[in-house]
Amino acid sequence: MAALFGRPWSGVAMLGVFYLLLVLIFSVLSPFFMTLRNMLQIGGNVAYIGLMAAAGTPLIIAGGLDLSVAAIAGLTGVVISMLYTAGIPIWIAVAIALVVAAIIGVINGLFTTRLRLNPLIVTLGMMSIISGIALVLTGGLTRPLSVPGFNWIGAGRVFGVPVPFILMMAMFLVLWVVMTRMRFGRFIYAAGGNAEAARLIGIPLEKTLISLYVISAVSGAIAGTVLGAMLGAAGPNAAGAQLLTVIAAIILGGTSLNGGRGSVWGTLVAVLILGTLNNGLTLLNVSSFWQDVTRGVVLMLAVSLDQIRTRALGE
Amino acid sequence: MATTIPRLGMHGIGKSFGNVPVLADVDLTVDPGEVVALLGSNGAGKSTLMKILTGLYNRDAGSIRIDGEEVVFGSPSEAVAAGVKLLPQEISVMPDMTVAENIFLGDMPIRRRFGLNQVDGDAMRRRSRELLDQLGFPSIAPDELVKNLPVAEQRIVEIARALAGKARILVMDEPTAALTEQEAKMIFKIIRRLQASQVSVIYISHYLNEVFEISDRIVVLRDGRNAGNFATARTSRADVLAAMLGNTVDDLYDVGASIAAGEEILHVDRLSIPGKIEEVGFTVRQGEILGIFGLVGSGVEVLGRALYGALGPVKGSEVRLGGQVYRPRSARAGKLAGIGFVAAERKKEGIIADLTVRENIALSFQERFERGLFVSQSDESRHAKRWIEDLGIRTRGPEQTLRTLSGGNQQKVCIARWLVEGVKLLILEEPTRGVDVGARREIYGKLRELANRGYAVLILSSDVEEVAGVSDRSLVLDRGRIVGQFTRGAKPAELMAATGNDPAFSAA
Repeated sequence: MAALFGRPWSGVAMLGVFYLLLVLIFSVLSPFFMTLRNMLQIGGNVAYIGLMAAAGTPLIIAGGLDLSVAAIAGLTGVVISMLYTAGIPIWIAVAIALVVAAIIGVINGLFTTRLRLNPLIVTLGMMSIISGIALVLTGGLTRPLSVPGFNWIGAGRVFGVPVPFILMMAMFLVLWVVMTRMRFGRFIYAAGGNAEAARLIGIPLEKTLISLYVISAVSGAIAGTVLGAMLGAAGPNAAGAQLLTVIAAIILGGTSLNGGRGSVWGTLVAVLILGTLNNGLTLLNVSSFWQDVTRGVVLMLAVSLDQIRTRALGE
Repeated sequence: MATTIPRLGMHGIGKSFGNVPVLADVDLTVDPGEVVALLGSNGAGKSTLMKILTGLYNRDAGSIRIDGEEVVFGSPSEAVAAGVKLLPQEISVMPDMTVAENIFLGDMPIRRRFGLNQVDGDAMRRRSRELLDQLGFPSIAPDELVKNLPVAEQRIVEIARALAGKARILVMDEPTAALTEQEAKMIFKIIRRLQASQVSVIYISHYLNEVFEISDRIVVLRDGRNAGNFATARTSRADVLAAMLGNTVDDLYDVGASIAAGEEILHVDRLSIPGKIEEVGFTVRQGEILGIFGLVGSGVEVLGRALYGALGPVKGSEVRLGGQVYRPRSARAGKLAGIGFVAAERKKEGIIADLTVRENIALSFQERFERGLFVSQSDESRHAKRWIEDLGIRTRGPEQTLRTLSGGNQQKVCIARWLVEGVKLLILEEPTRGVDVGARREIYGKLRELANRGYAVLILSSDVEEVAGVSDRSLVLDRGRIVGQFTRGAKPAELMAATGNDPAFSAA
């Protein structure tokens, strides 16, 4: 048991098996499920969630947490839409929105590292501030965001593969390389595995964590851009409901809430599982209210699994 | 005496962790109202014996009788229920609760009102008052918040808590470690009162003069066995020290000759840390091992990390490193200036348990194992393999997770981190804490080898035998000051005596 749970890859492998099982079950239950069209549909639909979960993974591994990421996604759509309406070229509007997100990330990072505040509180506060601002800016209304060319990144396809899915996979790939092949990646695992030891061997902890908060915030902005382009509209709280899915995916993917352990591939499989679950339940005409319940159950199971795994390692 | 039933009788106690025996056939008896001092150097087995008594560990062999009745404690709460109370070295009080609440923590008096069980505040205050009066402290108010009390009075609240639950045996672990001499006297006063009311006390301390002042009997452990049982009034400090430390120099430290010390690497002049270190000065030369010995609270636990920079900027000190002015600022700055640092608490401050041996070794100077933007795993691997072989780290290979290595091998990994070009000075805190005897010998041997290769090595330790055994020169730190200087070959007892425990020794 201990040996099984102890290996980082065994967790991902188990998730993979679980995913295939889920696919099998839905294929039997619904004739519409196991079609290439539907599978690609799922990939495209979960992409914005995957973008946020990908960047949240190294942050949680390093001992941080970002609850404001989904609110940033909402604000981003709003900002892009308003700047575009004001006559600013769409791609410049996107760039500005990304910079705004980066600044938010820096603020999250400074509050949690310099002032040593609990990231849960800081980013919860930030989430409230940002979604509040988005509501103020829009008066609570959804704004149109229909721009030829721009909408391609949400709804376009390359060789039949949805562009958002490609973006998400690119994000996972880049983060995987950074986390396993670069100095910064080592610092991420060291910071989360034993912050005091990392500090004592002279690893720049603050810089590492602040960078990760920025990466998380910017990925939130990219997710918001993709979502806005996909829907052709920007709601002030477009992604808010998916915050729980993002966190659930990271934990289900085997990243330890205590930090120090995890991989982006686990998160990817978990995102696909959660997306498949939603899609399958929809095809089976299960009400979306029940889907919230399912997600909660999966999250709690995932957290229990995390605990069992930690204890198996004898901590 | 033969007719009375002892309050506590521990007989033939044995305990092993894995294959390592920690206690073998240990006896300890305490009579009602007797104060027994339990002495022994680090690793002698004192704390393991007390953890068995207080139900934290199960024993492998032997029996425990309290007032003649055989007991088996499955958990600390069973021991507490039987009247065995432990006062840990670190004061454990709830600062934001009142004195009375702290005293009755876990066992608050209850009264029934409006059909609900409620804490009976009046009864709690009244009984706290009685207890504190009994102990001789009418000045402590039951309603005062504990955080507003001085440390010594917090200690007293803790003792009162132990007594509230009808203690029969009180184990006190270094109860005066954080106290002034005046405050220590207060604790002694209480112990005498406890004695008068037939409570038995087991008193653990490194300070011999305290032990001679307060105890009726002294029981000495050495290497997990009984090494002496003295009636305090009829023994001398020299006898007790000899039993504790032995007179023979262990072959543990017989690990090769030292070379002549070279140029001065570290020069410390009047280093002070408010409240901990006062105007300390010393030098460490290339090729030399300087050991600094100090008991808990002497400042030995901060001096090394302060020099490294882990405590932030140290004001007003004059430190030179390799002839250059060096100001301790941060761990990172210390590292870049050429200092390697191995922290005392390996698990909390040293290893990154989930990373591999290779990753742990490369981490401190990660930028040296890169090809362009990317980490070169083959460079890391080569470097790790070299030091795995050189230091004799027992591992399946560089890819093994550090968590699964033994303490001694983890410690070697922590040392290997600093063995790169540019590091001149190694500072090691408690280099062999929690390391088995075989690995200890290897680590001492490697430290000697590293010194011979040109490193300056500074060891800070509360293990007197280690400092006396491994150092070319040694210093003794007591209450923040250097109180003794010794050359190679000094006996552990001489170092121990320098801490102010024994005037006869320090005069010699």
